[in-house]
Amino acid sequence: MTKHKFKAKTLPALSMVGPVTIWLLVFVAAPLIYVLVMSFCGIDQFYNVSYHFTLTNYKRLLNADYVNIYGHSLIIALATTLICILIAYPFAYIIARTKSKKKSLLYMLVIIPFWTNSLIRIYGWRSLLGTSGWINTFLMNIHLIDEPIDFLYKQGTTIFGMVYCLFPFMVLPLYTAIEKLDNSLLEASADLGAKGPKTFFNVILPLTSGGIFSGSIMVFIPCLGYFFVADILGGGNSDVIGNLVERQFQSGNNWPLGAALSIILILVTLILVKIYQKLGGDMDSLGV
Amino acid sequence: MKKKRVLSIVLSVMLVSAMFAFTGCGNGSGSGANGELNIFTWTEYVPEAVIDKFEEEYDIKVNWTTFSSNEDMLAKVRAEADGTYDIVQPSDYMVEQMIAQDMLMELDYDIIDNLDNIGEGYLNPSYDPGNVYSVPYQGGVAAIGVNTDEIDLEITSYADLFDESLKGQLVVLDDYRAVIGMAARSMGYSMNETDEDVLSEIEEKLLTLKDNIKVYDSDSPKSSLISGDCTVAYCWSAEIALAQEENPAIEIVFPEEGPYVFMDNWAVLKGAKNSENAMKFIKFMLEPENAQMVSEEFPYLNANEKGVELMGEDFINNEAKNPPSSVIASGEYVSNLDTDTLAIYDEMWTKLKR
Repeated sequence: MTKHKFKAKTLPALSMVGPVTIWLLVFVAAPLIYVLVMSFCGIDQFYNVSYHFTLTNYKRLLNADYVNIYGHSLIIALATTLICILIAYPFAYIIARTKSKKKSLLYMLVIIPFWTNSLIRIYGWRSLLGTSGWINTFLMNIHLIDEPIDFLYKQGTTIFGMVYCLFPFMVLPLYTAIEKLDNSLLEASADLGAKGPKTFFNVILPLTSGGIFSGSIMVFIPCLGYFFVADILGGGNSDVIGNLVERQFQSGNNWPLGAALSIILILVTLILVKIYQKLGGDMDSLGV
Repeated sequence: MKKKRVLSIVLSVMLVSAMFAFTGCGNGSGSGANGELNIFTWTEYVPEAVIDKFEEEYDIKVNWTTFSSNEDMLAKVRAEADGTYDIVQPSDYMVEQMIAQDMLMELDYDIIDNLDNIGEGYLNPSYDPGNVYSVPYQGGVAAIGVNTDEIDLEITSYADLFDESLKGQLVVLDDYRAVIGMAARSMGYSMNETDEDVLSEIEEKLLTLKDNIKVYDSDSPKSSLISGDCTVAYCWSAEIALAQEENPAIEIVFPEEGPYVFMDNWAVLKGAKNSENAMKFIKFMLEPENAQMVSEEFPYLNANEKGVELMGEDFINNEAKNPPSSVIASGEYVSNLDTDTLAIYDEMWTKLKR
């Protein structure tokens, strides 16, 4: 009897779920567990990972200079997220609500940047923003400024680059949320005498807050890790946590410390996702 | 019916000819009559024409892979099965590290009979006494590039980089051993100090450099110098040479204290399957005309003196491309530090960058 049940129920289920589960175990769970294990290891005299238990890496994470960089990194991520919301919301609203035939074209405009690698686009910005770059040359030619403006290699430039890179990740969930908005609710609000701003803050904003949350998560988290933006536009003067991880895996040659640093990133991510869930966020709209 | 038969004939002809094409390939360039050679080099460092020439001359098929950092190379050599790579191209300190880990094979100087093409100053280096395991290839000097149109201060030493008038003017290598080592040398210390008291002295000095540094860039420090974003650079001599081609006002300064020097080398891995071919390859690379081909494409400091002699006046007299041997002799290589000391260096670097 049990054999029959196995054949009828378990086997089909296993054949459907099995491959995905194995995929997830091998390519997601195993590497993460490896990182976790490594973060408790030390290094030998040749800087190889040596598998003995130690808490040294975690002790080093509490170093005041590191903590300072985490702080800066969080500020950069927070600023980026806020700026993204402020720009992306009206933008997404216009695309989602427009009746124009240009709607799909506008939507495409958000997607197009993905066709070029973000690293190349960031390098592009560096040559645009340089002291002899196009923007400064233009401003000087129209006699708006006499001396070139120093755009590059500041914390602000890093934030600018992050906003530029991650803007689409804010627009897309917002677009989905605003698109789903039921028009009859807006009409009802208007019928009951609410003016534009009132409708926006009492009806539209609460109904689209899911989009804001998922967009924020998708912007905030990569911000902590996008070391190349901090390197190229920030010139190494405004490091994010990602730079610390990268340095330990490359020139620092201390993989266990790098692993411990990336555990911090994973923890921050988990905490944020948990908060998001608690606030009633929809896991599907995160794409996970 | 007939249509189907025609189709099947066409398909089988295609299949058979494809098979011929493959076997043909195997006899031609698939593997040379004298076997294969697997080389693992830095990217943008060995001209393709030189490799082609070697394949032709020796009838050895070369499989070529590249890396972009010593650590990356080491990790890959460890991860792959023995014999995946025959020849590697480690820098000075990495040669030392690989020798200590028993990863390199002693070179066969019966085959490599032309080591004397290498300049005297590059032989018998501190990281591999007697060149038992490695032969120098190309290298460089961490020199100072100055845009003389913008800077009036006369810069002659690493110590001058700390001058207050250079606030926000510097592009420096994004490399902690290079920058901390520069601070150490400016005070008369070694780049490889391990004494904690000395290191805290160096740290104090290092942090005074913070305001002068505008950007950390190892990939292309010349860009900031050429674009005018920075007026002084602490970077590789070859980068300064390229910047000079764009802006003749840029001058190269070799620091009085003696510069940070690096040298990349050819070495053969212990588990190499084609060790004899590897020795032949090193001999081939040492030949002056091949060294000349290398310098023409990648103008780094070339250790091959006989090759440099073929390069002509312009190259030989260009100090940025061909730093004087007295400069090299006054310089210092980075060497491997114990992990505790390295942790202190890492802390110093984090303090500088925070």
